[in-house]
Amino acid sequence: MFHFQLIITAIRGLQQNLLRSILATIGVIIGVGAVVSAVSILQGAQRDVLDQFESLGADQLIIVDGKREHGGVTSSVQALVPDDAEKIQQENTELVLRVSPQYQGGGQIKYYQQNVNGFILGVTETYAPMNSYKVDTGRFISREDVRGSTMVTVLGYGVAQDLFGSLPPVGKNVKINGKSFIVIGVMEKKGTLGFLNVDEQAIIPLSTAMARMFGQKYLSMLNVQCTSAAAIPACLEGINQTLRVSHRIRSGTKDDFTIYTQEQMKQRFAQVAKIFGVVLYSIAGISLLVGAIGIMNIMLVSVTERTREIGVRLAVGARRFDILKQFLIEASIISLFGGALGVVAGWAMANFLGEFTQVIKTYTPPIIIVASLIMAIFVGVVSGIYPAIRAARLDPVQALRYE
Amino acid sequence: MIRASQLSKHYHMGESVVRALDCVDLHIPHGQFVSIIGSSGSGKSTMMHIMGCLDRPTSGTVEIHGQTINSMSEKRMALLRNNEIGFVFQTFNLISRTSALDNVLVPLMYTRRSFSSKPAIEALDRVGLSKRAKHKPSEMSGGECQRVAIARAIVNKPKLLLADEPTGNLDTHTGTQIMNIVHELHEDGMTVVLVTHEMDIAVQAERMIEMKDGKIVADTAVDAARRAEILKLNQDAHQSLFRKKSLHPPSSKPLPPQMEAR
Repeated sequence: MFHFQLIITAIRGLQQNLLRSILATIGVIIGVGAVVSAVSILQGAQRDVLDQFESLGADQLIIVDGKREHGGVTSSVQALVPDDAEKIQQENTELVLRVSPQYQGGGQIKYYQQNVNGFILGVTETYAPMNSYKVDTGRFISREDVRGSTMVTVLGYGVAQDLFGSLPPVGKNVKINGKSFIVIGVMEKKGTLGFLNVDEQAIIPLSTAMARMFGQKYLSMLNVQCTSAAAIPACLEGINQTLRVSHRIRSGTKDDFTIYTQEQMKQRFAQVAKIFGVVLYSIAGISLLVGAIGIMNIMLVSVTERTREIGVRLAVGARRFDILKQFLIEASIISLFGGALGVVAGWAMANFLGEFTQVIKTYTPPIIIVASLIMAIFVGVVSGIYPAIRAARLDPVQALRYE
Repeated sequence: MIRASQLSKHYHMGESVVRALDCVDLHIPHGQFVSIIGSSGSGKSTMMHIMGCLDRPTSGTVEIHGQTINSMSEKRMALLRNNEIGFVFQTFNLISRTSALDNVLVPLMYTRRSFSSKPAIEALDRVGLSKRAKHKPSEMSGGECQRVAIARAIVNKPKLLLADEPTGNLDTHTGTQIMNIVHELHEDGMTVVLVTHEMDIAVQAERMIEMKDGKIVADTAVDAARRAEILKLNQDAHQSLFRKKSLHPPSSKPLPPQMEAR
């Protein structure tokens, strides 16, 4: 027997102590909400990062510092120098299209009273074409700028906006970390590129950045564009050879650099995402567990409170299964209702975080909505089953006498 | 028809054994109105619970409408309670959060038939409460609550009505009202077993069984002439009650002079 009357009875049962039912529902809302927002944030981040990798291009390689293990401690070895870029290009002309050595630091960019904190990126003339990143006004850094370590800068779109507003920035003098630079160009609006918001950076010649600004000998990284995606294995081989010779690494000794392909980066990221996923989902899972305990708690109280009612129902012909069903339906209503609201709350929360931080991009996969609701019902049934069994096991005579 | 033979029910209270029923033999033919009287602890309630399929005897057999309940499954017992037995309790035992009609609907939820609220409306009509169907128990008097409880007991048209001190929580007038309904149901052919400790109520039955310490100590047929007299008195009392009510409805009571002055 299953009809509408059962659901009405369950709803009336919940209405009897509305506040308590609402509190239990809130528990479920928080639990399911946590799951949905965790999934949304993680999925969003994953998508975002994968997009970033795609924007790097399948024909690109990234060379960063190598790792050295010494007595169980892993440290990075700084070994990449600007000369490496030249050598890679010259010794692999068939395979390498462009090499972009980069040095990245931070600093303050100032124009009279206006100032912005941003990234200071030292690059050569290859940086813009390699990333299909164009200048909006003025020109980009040239080979001569790099050779002569000139004090010129190309501002990111956001920096230019912040410092100059509607004024034309080209030709003006700005101070970067206290040093005077002439603005030679402004980049187009791009957003993020290789995990950085490039609109918020100032680009200067590589030599200027390393020698005159930061006083550094080693590069942050080298970006290599191969002639095609198919040339990547040969390219890896060639670059490896060049760098080992250039860094005078004896055979049998480990590299002092690491080369990543787009695919390897993706894999590495997947590992990191996994760790974050475990942490986020654990927290969400705990919230859900707390919600489930909340339901079980109110159901147990409800069973005790309604002992006489259970006795009456048994006396007028309810089977034990009918009583079990009634309490299970009540628990399921709480969890389903809470689950539905939790999906909305979690989605709203994720979107709010996305809007508020402007960093997190969220994506709620439709499947998660269905999964959350199924999970919510599961939680309801699991947490309701013990109280329901207790209700169904009551002795009718005892239950009728219960005060 | 109820037939009990050598019926015993023992409870363990710590070390000692309480013999709530001790080798009771009893036969109640179909359509009889029986009252069971006795002090508390005499075993009358236990007797009723076993007759009502709410409890199982420790030993002995019980047959209700030809079905032995000793070996019956829980499911069968529930079905029997649902279809063949109606319970009325001293404390009404209504579900307070729902209306009178919803309370009467409860047994219908557990029948195997398709659900319809029509029998519930009929049952409420039978106890004269069809106009109070939407009221909650807290909005009704004790007598009305007990009438709702009776409607609930008879909604599935059972053959046996078990009433446990149905007038115990009511004043004499209201109790009389309830008893009149019980008499009507009996006249319609229901077997009625009524547990009470009030002699005035007990003598209204056709047969009076007295219990003490789990045993039947007296089993007497009530003198028909005396019974008729009591019933007549009841009817009159009931009617005079109604007459009084119609003559002086509470709203038309004259206000005390000082209140009128305001």
